[in-house]
Amino acid sequence: MSGVKAPEHGAELGLPASGAAAPGPPGRAAAARRGRLTSPWAVRLLSVVVVTTVWELLGRTDPTVASYPSAIASAAVDLIGDGPLLAAFADTLEGLAVGFVIAAVLGVAIGYLMGMFRLVEVALDPYVNALYATPRIALVPLLVLWVGIGFELRVTIVVLSAIFPIIMNVHIGTRNVDRDLVDTGRAFAASRWQLLRTVTIPGSLPYVFAGLRIGTAKALVGIIVAEMTAAATGTGQLLLQFGRYFETDKLFVPIIMLGLLSIVLVEAMYAIERRAMPWRRTER
Amino acid sequence: MSSQSSADPLSVLPVSEGGTDPAAAPLLQIRGVSRTFRSVDRKVLDDVDLDVAAGEFVSLIGPSGCGKTTLLRIVAGLLSATTGSVSLGGSPSDAPSRDKAMVFQHFNLFPWRTALANAAYGLELQGVGKRERNERALEYLRLFGLEEFAGQYPGELSGGMRQRIGIARALAIEPKVLLMDEPFGALDALTRERLQIELLRICETTHLSVVFVTHSIDEAIFLSDRIVVMGTHPGRVVETFDVDLRRPRWTYDMRAEPSYARIRARVWELLDHEMSGHGGAPG
Repeated sequence: MSGVKAPEHGAELGLPASGAAAPGPPGRAAAARRGRLTSPWAVRLLSVVVVTTVWELLGRTDPTVASYPSAIASAAVDLIGDGPLLAAFADTLEGLAVGFVIAAVLGVAIGYLMGMFRLVEVALDPYVNALYATPRIALVPLLVLWVGIGFELRVTIVVLSAIFPIIMNVHIGTRNVDRDLVDTGRAFAASRWQLLRTVTIPGSLPYVFAGLRIGTAKALVGIIVAEMTAAATGTGQLLLQFGRYFETDKLFVPIIMLGLLSIVLVEAMYAIERRAMPWRRTER
Repeated sequence: MSSQSSADPLSVLPVSEGGTDPAAAPLLQIRGVSRTFRSVDRKVLDDVDLDVAAGEFVSLIGPSGCGKTTLLRIVAGLLSATTGSVSLGGSPSDAPSRDKAMVFQHFNLFPWRTALANAAYGLELQGVGKRERNERALEYLRLFGLEEFAGQYPGELSGGMRQRIGIARALAIEPKVLLMDEPFGALDALTRERLQIELLRICETTHLSVVFVTHSIDEAIFLSDRIVVMGTHPGRVVETFDVDLRRPRWTYDMRAEPSYARIRARVWELLDHEMSGHGGAPG
């Protein structure tokens, strides 16, 4: 009835994070159950030191296979000082940023239109459902024909990767707004647009942010895949190039940078989310 | 209730003109209202007639399934009647409008709005400017001693405080009729009694008209000018009582009055009769 039929997508749909699912300090009850840590940062640091040391020792036995932290560090210094790394990374970031903004704006708008107008919902849901699950990499050869292998390819693949989880989550969010609050708006004689502004949008924000979070992750995967398969430049190409010449130490540098980038993006999303929904901390 | 001002906070309330005048045309007229839910093919309301005079407090009481909440939602304009009509102040009123305000059993505050923004909600929809609506909403919060909680979210407040905000939100639009759907049903006994008194003080100051749905006979007697007992299968009005206990009622022990016991016994008898399944097909 609602047009939301997605059990097979279930794992991909970000249910809005209740406090417990968010990173950061776990709930007090959980902390008590699992034992309290006085200094989690000390433990994190120690863990990193131990793993790095073991890796350093094991990695030296066969550097072509695993490399080792000190070699990676010096490769990083070389690559950052002089070389294609920063330019490639900048290409990737630019495509990611432009594509994600387009996907977020269009995705949120389409999701709300689908939630508000039955006609739009029925007209669009075949495409949304079909494209949501289609592997984006299957589209790359076609996109190369259409937009070439430069900036436009990056942006297009990011938009196509990120937009569908955003649309679906926003759409589902509009369906999950508390019926009683919709009735409350109606009882106070809210017009259709007032209902959207004062009830549907704030009520669906947790889903919108879940969609944006998943969209971010999908966009990052999409752009690296596109760069590895088709683009002339970018971090993905650099990875292929280092791999081809068995430069394992260099290979690890962009990988680590991508890991750091994803941490930054996820934390930034949560920070925006907390600012946009200050009441969420107060809910019991 | 207000700590900073010596003036009675109730003085901010608009007073309806006329008060209870039985000779005047009723403020709210419900005529032949029936409601059938197609999905269950069952008549939940059958041919209900009810008048509410300006300044009158009317309670609807009855067992679950008697359609009292359905009737209230039809009056609010949240549901449409299958047949029959509702008029307010002489003109048809089948949709939500700014002269009707609703208070809900589960408060229905917007969790993303502060207490003040919740209380100002109806005014905001009416296009009242931010400054003015916040001032007016704050006066209604002050009425309930809640001005210091104006900036807090509902999630930080107790059930009693939340429902006070729910009532403030409804009063702030200065409606002709206040529709209350078991507003104190989700509160603990002490809070419930306090809120009953606060509501009565407001109603007696303003001569506001109220339609109040409840499960509690004592609550209905304490608050009402008139009690409408409803029955099931189909939902309908069984009998209507005037409550002739003098006001203000919180100033004396109402339960010691002979008429209190008489009304209570009669309502109880009717409800017992309805609930024993005599009223129609077994549920």
